[in-house]
Amino acid sequence: MKTTLLGFVLRRVGNSLWQLLWTHLLTAVTMAVTLFVFGGFMLLQVNLERLLRVWGDQIQITAYLAKGVGGADAQLLLQRVRSLPEVFLVRLTTQEQAWRDFQTALGSQSGLLDGLPPDVLPASLEIAFKPAQRDSAIIEEFAQRLRREKDVAAVEYPQAWVERLSLIILAVQWVKWIIGGLLFLGTFFIVGNAVKLALLARKEEVEIMQLIGASEQLIQAPFVLEGMIQGLMAGAISLAILWGMFVFLRQALPTLAGVLMPVARPEFLDPTGIALLLAIGALLGAAGSLFSLRRFIKTWKASPRVA
Amino acid sequence: MIQFEQVSKIYPPAFHALNDISLNINKGEGVFLAGPSGAGKSTLLKLIFREEEPSTGRILIDGKNISRLTSRAVAALRCKIGLVFQEFRLLPGLSAVENVALAAEVVGVTKQASRTKAGNLLQELGLNDHYDAAPLALSAGERQRVAIARALINDPMLVLADEPTGNLDADAAHECLRLLFKIRDRGATVVVATHDLDLVNRYGTRVLWLRQGELIDDLHRSEARSVAR
Repeated sequence: MKTTLLGFVLRRVGNSLWQLLWTHLLTAVTMAVTLFVFGGFMLLQVNLERLLRVWGDQIQITAYLAKGVGGADAQLLLQRVRSLPEVFLVRLTTQEQAWRDFQTALGSQSGLLDGLPPDVLPASLEIAFKPAQRDSAIIEEFAQRLRREKDVAAVEYPQAWVERLSLIILAVQWVKWIIGGLLFLGTFFIVGNAVKLALLARKEEVEIMQLIGASEQLIQAPFVLEGMIQGLMAGAISLAILWGMFVFLRQALPTLAGVLMPVARPEFLDPTGIALLLAIGALLGAAGSLFSLRRFIKTWKASPRVA
Repeated sequence: MIQFEQVSKIYPPAFHALNDISLNINKGEGVFLAGPSGAGKSTLLKLIFREEEPSTGRILIDGKNISRLTSRAVAALRCKIGLVFQEFRLLPGLSAVENVALAAEVVGVTKQASRTKAGNLLQELGLNDHYDAAPLALSAGERQRVAIARALINDPMLVLADEPTGNLDADAAHECLRLLFKIRDRGATVVVATHDLDLVNRYGTRVLWLRQGELIDDLHRSEARSVAR
């Protein structure tokens, strides 16, 4: 498009935004509701994935040694496990160490342990995996091998939780697209109707432009651009509300955040997520505009109204 | 310049707006399309600026069959055609000069150049005190002159006017037609549709006489007078 025509289109967009300010704002707010819901699911998904990643990074197997296994036997087992290719780090906690750790953890309540024998807790091996080996199948197979060791009484690892969280994330992802899709469809028609209103308000102008030789693209471009601007406004509004709610929840629910995110605090959408939400808004606005334009402009006959 | 070859236009279900019209209009010619309401004058104009397409036959402008034009080419064709209507069709939200400049801006002329040219045209048409007036603040005659200025801003090869005097008093109507036919001095062809025979008879120009979709005569002024009687 020529620069002069671009200037013309931008002037028309500016005039329209100003003249139909409330119509545009109302449409943008309606779109913002949809984008807010979608963005909320995005935010939830991002943080659950982050949680899963943090848990995954921390995933370790605890192998509790059989009663009476300690000293040289425990050291031998430690050496054998350390030499396995999957293992990144392995730490032996003796019965004495486990007892001391437990006492420390109880702090002022450690008196509760009075009378209990200090060897009530078993010795254990805490095994961390190399990053490439942090796969549920590998870990499960590794745990099975450990269980077959005669010096190992029990093997524990939080695999069930990891799998459950993965399922929740998958569900969130599906809900995001299903609910988001339905809302997008509804918003698409709302935007289409808003554009129809704008078109009806400017019907005469459009007809006159057709008569004086404006190309279809030149007539349509301002409406499409307006739709995109509405979508971007809606995206910005939804992001602002999301941010406000995110900050509020992070402050209001520190305990919950602490439980769920012992290592990583909840995070807002990254720049890619923000750009994605804005782009979806712009796309939604432009598509809604085009949909209405194609339906209406072609049905209008620009003509002198004399038989 | 304009050739109709056995052109008919039928609106569904079976309204014959134009029947088997063949005619030629030469470059620089001034032509009245005369006839009563419903004769097919507006349909004929719509066919020329490709608002409608013929049901049968061909319309050639400068040798090109306009039925085969793409939508982009139709827009380009319309840029070369100035249109004037009975009800003026000016945008009420724009001033006189903005209404005129709009036609130049849509073809890519800069805002500044469009305004300058629009101002010059309004001055030429005697509206130099009304550049910034809203259309509704102007008289009917003045509004029609603004519409004529808009039709002229892109130096059209052809000006089509559909009942341009329908909303004007006698003096304003006469002035409007004088201005329209003066456009021929710029080398443009002018086609004016009207049902006002008194006006037709005042101008020594060709008259295409339509009745019920038929071209019943292609006359000159003296002949038109006799038909009118």
